[in-house]
Amino acid sequence: MVENRHISITVNGERKEADVEPRMLLVHFLREIAGSTGTHVGCDTTNCGACTVLLDGRAVKSCTILAVQADRRKITTIEGLSKEPGKMHPVQKSFVDNHGLQCGYCTSGMIISAYWLLKHKKNVSEQEIREAISGNLCRCTGYDNIIMSIKDAEKRMEEEGDTLEEEQAVTVRK
Amino acid sequence: MDLSEKFVKGNGTFVDDIHMPGMLYLGFVRSPYPRAKIKKISGGITHKDVNFDIAAVGEGSEEEQTFSSTAHPVLAKDFVGYVGQPVAAVYSTDPYEAEDLIDSVEVDYEPLPGISDPEKAIDFEPINPASKSNVIVDRYFGKEFPDNVGDVVIEGRFVNNRIATNPIEPRGIVTAYDGDKLTIWIGTQSIYSIKSGICEAMHLPAEKVRVIQTDTGGAFGLKGGLFPEYVVAAWLAMKEKRPVKWIETRREHLMASRPGRGAIAKLKLYADRSGKIKGLKGEVLVDNGAFTGGSGEFSPAFIAMQLAGAYHLENAYVRARSVLTNKAPQGPYRGAGRPEAMFFIEKMMDHLADKLKMDPVDLRLKNAAEERYRSPLGFEVEPSKKFLEAAIKETGYRELSKKYNTGFSFLILYHATSGGESARIQVKDGRLKVWIGGNAHGQRHDVFSKTLINEELGVDESLVDFQLGDTDQIPAGIGAWGSRSAMVAGSAVLMAARMLREKVEKKYGKYSLNHLLGEEWDAYHNFEYSKMESSLGVNVVTADVDDLGKVKIRDCISYYDAGRVLDPANAAGQIAGGSVQGISQALYEELAFDEDGQPLTSSISDAGVATADLLPKFTIKYYKSESTLPSKAKGIGEAPTIGVPIALSRALEKAMGREFNETPIRPELLLRETAVQ
Ligand code: FES
Ligand code: FES
Repeated sequence: MVENRHISITVNGERKEADVEPRMLLVHFLREIAGSTGTHVGCDTTNCGACTVLLDGRAVKSCTILAVQADRRKITTIEGLSKEPGKMHPVQKSFVDNHGLQCGYCTSGMIISAYWLLKHKKNVSEQEIREAISGNLCRCTGYDNIIMSIKDAEKRMEEEGDTLEEEQAVTVRK
Repeated sequence: MDLSEKFVKGNGTFVDDIHMPGMLYLGFVRSPYPRAKIKKISGGITHKDVNFDIAAVGEGSEEEQTFSSTAHPVLAKDFVGYVGQPVAAVYSTDPYEAEDLIDSVEVDYEPLPGISDPEKAIDFEPINPASKSNVIVDRYFGKEFPDNVGDVVIEGRFVNNRIATNPIEPRGIVTAYDGDKLTIWIGTQSIYSIKSGICEAMHLPAEKVRVIQTDTGGAFGLKGGLFPEYVVAAWLAMKEKRPVKWIETRREHLMASRPGRGAIAKLKLYADRSGKIKGLKGEVLVDNGAFTGGSGEFSPAFIAMQLAGAYHLENAYVRARSVLTNKAPQGPYRGAGRPEAMFFIEKMMDHLADKLKMDPVDLRLKNAAEERYRSPLGFEVEPSKKFLEAAIKETGYRELSKKYNTGFSFLILYHATSGGESARIQVKDGRLKVWIGGNAHGQRHDVFSKTLINEELGVDESLVDFQLGDTDQIPAGIGAWGSRSAMVAGSAVLMAARMLREKVEKKYGKYSLNHLLGEEWDAYHNFEYSKMESSLGVNVVTADVDDLGKVKIRDCISYYDAGRVLDPANAAGQIAGGSVQGISQALYEELAFDEDGQPLTSSISDAGVATADLLPKFTIKYYKSESTLPSKAKGIGEAPTIGVPIALSRALEKAMGREFNETPIRPELLLRETAVQ
């Protein structure tokens, strides 16, 4: 048996420490240890994007990263997207207002991917949005309202002065 | 909190989000063979421990006799019939360890030749030792008629291949037992199906089982029935007196949940030279899979009975069969027999029009039913001509078809309204709690419930708390499927609200909001309804195919009779979502198998679930009408998965100049010869 490793990951600004099996996936660390159950699992082949979170600011599928690879890094999940607790980030708000969800299962991952896009690109076209979320599957909405939500979110972020971020190089420790 | 707000904040409680101290995690040892004898099983929980069969519950189950000899065992006994069939179960307090334990169980198999092609399975040796033939349903509908009823005949073989339901949330269950009562938390379309299924399979009295619905991440037919894994989870919780969790992996979903479609038709359509159809003859074959308990027992009849479409049909004679194959049992998928039936009749209408050199829409106009009548195949067809005339105008078909490759489909949607539905409204501390019998999984039944309550009682929507299903709170109900909820659940809510109004009136002489909110009240209404309703719809799709075989869809127009549209935003969401499922059925979706039944599809992307980068915009229009039900609504949830594949496939026939009689349309068929050279 491979020995457990002690890791510490900052999840939504809070340090979470645990002894974990080296094979534990980041998504399971987030859900079972950090209690961030808003991050979902929808597949076992890195296709669906339901597990998307920000790792050091960058959108990643947390089912394809080991928890130990995220040791001493920062994770933002859907629960930590809004800077003010209890309030919604403009992307979250625009998904509510534009009916960008039905069952709500793909939603967290979809919002994180949308947030990442809007933080890194100005004046996004519809095609760019469609491509940016092509790694996130939604079986309910037909994507139309999701696209509308993201377009609307861009406007709202601009209005709120939520600005672009420099792309950060993320190298996942192997 | 508003439901949408809860989900965008990541605060939903899906079944996998439930954690309890001492929880055990279940894992399943599954058959690697499509067909094999089991000689020995060493380790794990086996059929010797959990010796039950799966009871058929849910959508359509009330309509047919039971098939006990081909019933699905919870855990395999002396043979397996499909890859993925549960053979044994293991558990641990750690989910990773539970997965490791799967490998510790040794099963000694003697592989046998399997069969995956339903047409070949008819004459293949019986794959279930208990049955003499693989054909488990063989029925005739209508009456034989002479071949000379028409001047022209068209004939074809039409196929809708199997597809996985693939909600993004897989199946899952949590069970707990306190020594007296079993409690189940589950993402489901029907807590009542789960409860009655568990009670029947495990011989438990109804009062000893409680089923609570968790937030449900899509279902599309999948989550209406009982599955073997649920029974094992219930059994283990009762045995160990500890909470138990099982969550399906996507791979398990693709192998061993119940996929939909899987139907073949060989049909002839007779007409006179003017285009008047004179008769329909042929057969329908459903790929049942290895065991009963899914929907393969009743879907042949359900498909056959709808084959008149929305047309007037004098003569019809159809044989409908279901055949055992070495695959997981077939189940309902959004439409569940309706898309298959309309695909078959509408394809023939298009090809008949081609043969007669008519516009397909003129052929449809000529045959639309002018009066309500009972088709020789069994179902009542409502008058459809007026609607069709309006649809041609409102969709702009005539102009579009001059410019683009245009497909047109005309559908009748039979709603699963029979059985009615229940609702309960409780008033306490100035707020209302509402439960309805069928369990939503993305359709937002809370919204129409609040609208109807507001209209009936004047209660502000912010004072209404819509509840997830709980058999201890609302004792009886049916389920959310078959485009029924706005109709029967909506009516049940409205009637329960009326009961509250009457209670207040009885006590105070007249109704007032203050009296209602100032006291405690409770009203439960079981809205009884025995009729199957129907409504009409049209889809128009324009599309082109580039030299690389890539499909570009320009328009996807829906024109539906939705009765009173109770909730326009969510109705539009249902139509857009269903349209994408229709597009992906036509172009991408298929669960493929080799000849023996070994699955070839191993990821959700391989299974063809559409992504966001290749889809058109949708136009949605409604025909103005009202249903005769108290809610005045007509269901539309399944209309797009019926109409869109037909219209898209026709648009592509125009683009490619050839017939497409199968879904999905394989990519190699979309390459023009010039491009291949
Ligand atoms: S769960 Fe991570 S991509 Fe599907
Ligand atoms: S809202 Fe259900 S999967 Fe996207």
